[in-house]
Amino acid sequence: MDRRTFLAGSLGASLVPFMNRMAFAAGKPVTWWYESAAPAQQEAIANVLVAGFNAAHPDYSLAIDYRGSELDKQMRVALLSGNGPDVVYTAGPSYVAPMARAGQLLALDDYAEKLGWNKRVLPVFLEMGKYDGKLYAVPKTYETLGLFYNKAVLNKNGWKAPTTLAEMEALADEALKAKLVPFASGNAGWRGNNEHYVTIVFNSIAGPENVYKALTGEIPWTAEPFVAAINKLNDWWQKGYFGPDYFSLETEQFFAQMAAGRSPMLPSGTWHFQYIQSYFKENADQCGFVGFPSAEGLGGPVYALGVGSTLSIAAASQNPDGAAAAIDYVFSPEFYGAMNSVWQGEWNTPLVDLSMVKISNDVPALYAETMKTLAESVAKNQYGYTSWTFLPPATDTQLINGIEEVWLGRATVADYLAQLDATFQQEKADGKVPAVPAR
Amino acid sequence: MHRLYLIPTLLINVVIIFIPAALTIALAFCRWDGIGTPVFIGLANFRQLFADRVFWMALGNNIIWTAIFLTVPIAMGLLAATMMLIARRGSAFFQVIYFLPMVIATAITARVWQGMIYSPLTGIAGLVTRAGFPVPNPLTQPSTALYGIAVVDLWHWWGFLCVIFFAALRQVPQEQIEAARIEGASFWQMLRYVLLPGIRPTITLMMIMTIIWSFLVFDFVYILTQGGPAFSSEVLSTLAYRSAFYDLAVGKAAAVAVVISLFGLATTAFYIRLQAKEFDQ
Repeated sequence: MDRRTFLAGSLGASLVPFMNRMAFAAGKPVTWWYESAAPAQQEAIANVLVAGFNAAHPDYSLAIDYRGSELDKQMRVALLSGNGPDVVYTAGPSYVAPMARAGQLLALDDYAEKLGWNKRVLPVFLEMGKYDGKLYAVPKTYETLGLFYNKAVLNKNGWKAPTTLAEMEALADEALKAKLVPFASGNAGWRGNNEHYVTIVFNSIAGPENVYKALTGEIPWTAEPFVAAINKLNDWWQKGYFGPDYFSLETEQFFAQMAAGRSPMLPSGTWHFQYIQSYFKENADQCGFVGFPSAEGLGGPVYALGVGSTLSIAAASQNPDGAAAAIDYVFSPEFYGAMNSVWQGEWNTPLVDLSMVKISNDVPALYAETMKTLAESVAKNQYGYTSWTFLPPATDTQLINGIEEVWLGRATVADYLAQLDATFQQEKADGKVPAVPAR
Repeated sequence: MHRLYLIPTLLINVVIIFIPAALTIALAFCRWDGIGTPVFIGLANFRQLFADRVFWMALGNNIIWTAIFLTVPIAMGLLAATMMLIARRGSAFFQVIYFLPMVIATAITARVWQGMIYSPLTGIAGLVTRAGFPVPNPLTQPSTALYGIAVVDLWHWWGFLCVIFFAALRQVPQEQIEAARIEGASFWQMLRYVLLPGIRPTITLMMIMTIIWSFLVFDFVYILTQGGPAFSSEVLSTLAYRSAFYDLAVGKAAAVAVVISLFGLATTAFYIRLQAKEFDQ
């Protein structure tokens, strides 16, 4: 190889990393880093999001880069060095405030006005994405917690889906007698599952008003309603409602446990709708879902509001208009219908009006009904608060890890709540508590 | 002129080791969420750390871990290596078998043990339990979680030590071994008076490295239990990781990293002194 060939070859090879930005891009590139997704989910993103957006916006070329479960860490490092994607995907509102404070995100107020997000998106969610009065993030999906149940198991034993806390406990006690695990649950794959149960008792037993007061600093987390809530959760654990294998089971394993009839109930989030077809197969209609029953005096079920991921635009973005167009596309009724027809629970964008949305008939009607109920409760300001959406990071970690100490007898309920409160007050003083919309 | 040859390695050391190390030490004295601007807070991170019972639990677990790895795998490795030396037949085969777990990626080893051995649903433990002999998953009990993880790491680690010790034992002068045999030394006498003194520098080095590695342990703990349940298997590195990436308290995580480094530094200093003494002799 002569010197000239070598130099030409080297130059060509060095351009390869840029080719996806130059040669293959029909329009101006829009980059978006996504977390991990199963092959079927990646196919849905390719067909519905990427192909749909690129067809609707020929001037832009959207590219999704899968970064796995460590996305938020990679994102932080990239943004810190002034790099990263155009569309910034975060794991929830608590991650937005520090990024906005550091000037890494673009204020979205002008886009929200120009593209009509202010009218299309439920106002409460726009409030949650604000920092210092400016909008920095919009939720990619929102979710709630409730109680899935196996209708076949309930029918076989002559049980009814519970509507009150007392009924739910009676059903769980009967299930224990029938040698069933009352709650299909586990945290082997994701320790964060612990917080689903704490969130449930905080909202359904202590009540959303008290949670709001604690979040705004009006009462401490050691207040009596929270003591009663954690005591109840601990009672359920000690009675064996969560079963002997809680620390061994992964999410899909405990969902399969309910589908196989070894557990009558599964208290968890609406993202589990995506598993119904895989595990109940042709018996998908045998899976029921109700709001988690509340304690006396709280009325009907409380739908705790959760935002598992948000979308923003990087301040250093080379193509902010393209990124805004991509976010705008996600907020279209067409995208909502097409994506939720193939993948439920992860793309439940907070649209005000769902009447234009068309979801495939193959999707259990229960999903659409649940999401409609949730949207209505949010519109009426009747909602609760999930820990992963409204608590600052270290308080949330303490909530997740500390509850195991209570369950395993290594800490008292009072110690647990005292530590939770101390961490919260420190983070509140540091300005780390995410925005809490007024009730 | 010949000193110029040092530049590439020096450059790599400065960029990859010195600068990150200096930044970590500096961050240990700052409050930083990993996103904004660090704020100098003096010793507050260390004060907070020393008042945190989880830090002391993690440190205790690191000490238990070190004690386990200073004894069990070293004893197993020495015993197997000596036996391979004495009964040469099949030693190559056994070396490959013992070494095999070492070449499997940590994540795969951990997932295999978690899913195929310990799991009450899909593992051998579940199979035995269903056969009427209840075997609890050690990873789920606070009293056994750390030991459950240690078993997995031991399985993967001891073969490596065995191969290292075997290589060292083969350097022991054959005449000494023959002489001991002729004098009628038993297996244990041979081990005690000929073989172990012959490979003492290798054993010392492996023990020093074991102490350093034990304070750095992260992968198996994180994959198998993430430090749980109820912090029972938390070690310093998982505490640092959780602080940095979940609590967004990078300063506190840096303080933990400094504590980990202090143990490594003390051990290295001890080793260097020991070596210097041996040179003097």
